Amino acid sequence: MTTQKDFIGDISTALGRPTPAAVDLFTVAPTTAEQDILKNIRQRSPGERQPFIKTLQEVSVPLHLDFHPERSLEDIRQAIITLILEKDPEWGTKKSVVRWDHPLLNSLNLEAAAELKDISLYTTSPVAATLSAEERQQQRQQTRKEVEESFIGITSADYCIAATATLAMKTRPGQARSVSLVPSIHLAVVEESKLLATLEELYTLLKWDEAEQAEGLTNNLSLVSGPSKTGDIELVMVHGAHGPRELHLFLVADRS
Amino acid sequence: MSTIAPEKYKENASKGIADPVLQKALGGLQDRLGPATEKLYNSQPEGHDMRPRAHQFRRKAIDNLDVLLSTLADKVRGHGGIVHFAKTAEEAVEICKKIALENDVKTVVKGKSMVTEEVGLNLALEKEGIEVYETDLGEYILQLSGEGPTHIVAPAIHKTRREIAELFTEKLGTPYTEDPPTLTRYARKALREKFLKADMGISGCNLACAETGHIVTVSNEGNIRMSTTLPKIHVAFMGMERIVANLEEQQSILRLMSMGAAAQEIGGYVSYVGGPAQADHSDGPQEFHLIIIDNGRSKILADPEFREMLCCIRCGACLNVCPVYGKIGGQAYGSPYCGPVGAVVTPLLFGINTSADLCAGETLCGACKQACPLEINLPRMLLALRSKLSDGDPDWQVQPKSKGENLLFSGWQRLNNNRKIYDTLLDLMRMLQHLLPAKQGMITRLPWPFSGWTANRNMKKLAPKTFMQQWKETKEKKDS
Ligand code: SF4
Repeated sequence: MTTQKDFIGDISTALGRPTPAAVDLFTVAPTTAEQDILKNIRQRSPGERQPFIKTLQEVSVPLHLDFHPERSLEDIRQAIITLILEKDPEWGTKKSVVRWDHPLLNSLNLEAAAELKDISLYTTSPVAATLSAEERQQQRQQTRKEVEESFIGITSADYCIAATATLAMKTRPGQARSVSLVPSIHLAVVEESKLLATLEELYTLLKWDEAEQAEGLTNNLSLVSGPSKTGDIELVMVHGAHGPRELHLFLVADRS
Repeated sequence: MSTIAPEKYKENASKGIADPVLQKALGGLQDRLGPATEKLYNSQPEGHDMRPRAHQFRRKAIDNLDVLLSTLADKVRGHGGIVHFAKTAEEAVEICKKIALENDVKTVVKGKSMVTEEVGLNLALEKEGIEVYETDLGEYILQLSGEGPTHIVAPAIHKTRREIAELFTEKLGTPYTEDPPTLTRYARKALREKFLKADMGISGCNLACAETGHIVTVSNEGNIRMSTTLPKIHVAFMGMERIVANLEEQQSILRLMSMGAAAQEIGGYVSYVGGPAQADHSDGPQEFHLIIIDNGRSKILADPEFREMLCCIRCGACLNVCPVYGKIGGQAYGSPYCGPVGAVVTPLLFGINTSADLCAGETLCGACKQACPLEINLPRMLLALRSKLSDGDPDWQVQPKSKGENLLFSGWQRLNNNRKIYDTLLDLMRMLQHLLPAKQGMITRLPWPFSGWTANRNMKKLAPKTFMQQWKETKEKKDS
């Protein structure tokens, strides 16, 4: 078996070391342009975000993403209930819905909706560290079962990027990655304050914002732009290859 | 599945040219993607600097590969992942096989990964009785039909909907239909079962980020996310050059890759994977293995003439503009790497002599360099390979071309250097050419040893007077 030392050693030889490595490999401070981007994002008023909503609307169309007009939590709640009632499950007939354990989604309080009383509503809870390995395994298996069973998955997102209609989602306890992936329909509910203009803004935040730096990208950061698609049969675009067939996006208006 | 057989280039290229279905598919693909990619490049806020800058980022990464790979390995271990280094294809396969056997793996789902094809992973796992499923729709179709890929990004572009319909009816037992959405749904259903039962997911790595310690995968179908989220083990294969130093550089190249590959601003699903699921997370793989592969790359790295090739991110943009690829298709190249990129990479990885026809087949028109998101100078390297082929190079174990050919060309050179002999020969040829068979003023067949030249094309007859003669005459007339 090749060791790291031998493997890297061969590379160093091929590079003709001992020439020193480049000094600017890993950047340690933002450029002035990046500082400006950060400042811009932080000082942005809700009014300044309104043009992004229009962009989002426009780019959603070619991406096949359903961007809903509801803005208040109450309207969004109702729209989601309607979707759950109207849409048909892809595999089988039972209707189940799974969602993240997330403050914004908790505040929708779907569990209290009388219209949904016949529908199983699951939440992916964090796995408590106090549990034994076996209990943790059991809880994961239960979550897996619920995700597989669900035809709709509801998540929020860390950010939503207007220019490309991209949702950025880090992985955290309670925010299972499979909720935005395995169910046939993905609903995302995002606060308007999480709206960014461009991918450049997203990456500048991920790289230089103190809170983002402290958390890191986590072991899984997913950027999702639109529902799953393929053009592998005669270049004909088909939505719903392996991931969700539909992606519905709701923006919650700023209440401040 | 693809076997490595670049020596059959001529034979397979002729087949490709004679195949009307392939011609239509390739034409459609190039018409669509080539111009769309160019349009995107021109509309970026960063302007025309974006590509040369990205080239610099890649070049810097390759020139500091030892530092970057060590950093990546440390960070991934810090995230709870396991890092393996494989010098050869065999070693990479062994490592993966061992992980599979130790964990009693029965079913593997794979996201599209060229490096696993390069090392021949599928066959090795199947020999152990493990079921391996390609999950990219195009790759899945090819796996069912037992063919090699035609394109890096759209591997099954040569298959018509009718062929796919017949294939699915035969292999999956689904009702016959030629409707692409319905066919896609059949594959979705068949593969969903595999995703849900698989105990190992295998992915490649489009471009790792050293500073954060993440590999990055991109897909539009969501198959890679499925393969790397659901099974209990995720094994990522990474060619050692697929890395860049920091997040700013990573994102700029990632976006260029999406433009080059599919004329998108960004791929539909981009995942940064740093390690396995943490203890308090409710899903994700329990183990994450990263296999970093050399397999001939450090030899390319050591050669200043070819080091630039390691900047390539296998986006396939060069295929979408290449006039040669557009006629012969990907299977002719006899390697997972086809088109202009394949014409350079295949010889360097699998032997320059066996792949001689690949580098001779390209036209050096420069379209690939223009389309490449990183402006990689493929034509320069094609020329360098050709010069190695004619002069030989012990470092690359290249045998020089036959003595006869060299003799012929040095004779030709001498002839060209002597005006008198040249003109005499021209006069002679002018007289003799009337004896040759011709059609519409074009010579249709040359005698041996020049017959090869007219095997596939006709040749223009020599003009009654050379340009120099005409020039002289006109000038004399004017002066008098
Ligand atoms: S040579 Fe350039 S265009 Fe071709 S695959 Fe590599 S990066 Fe893409």
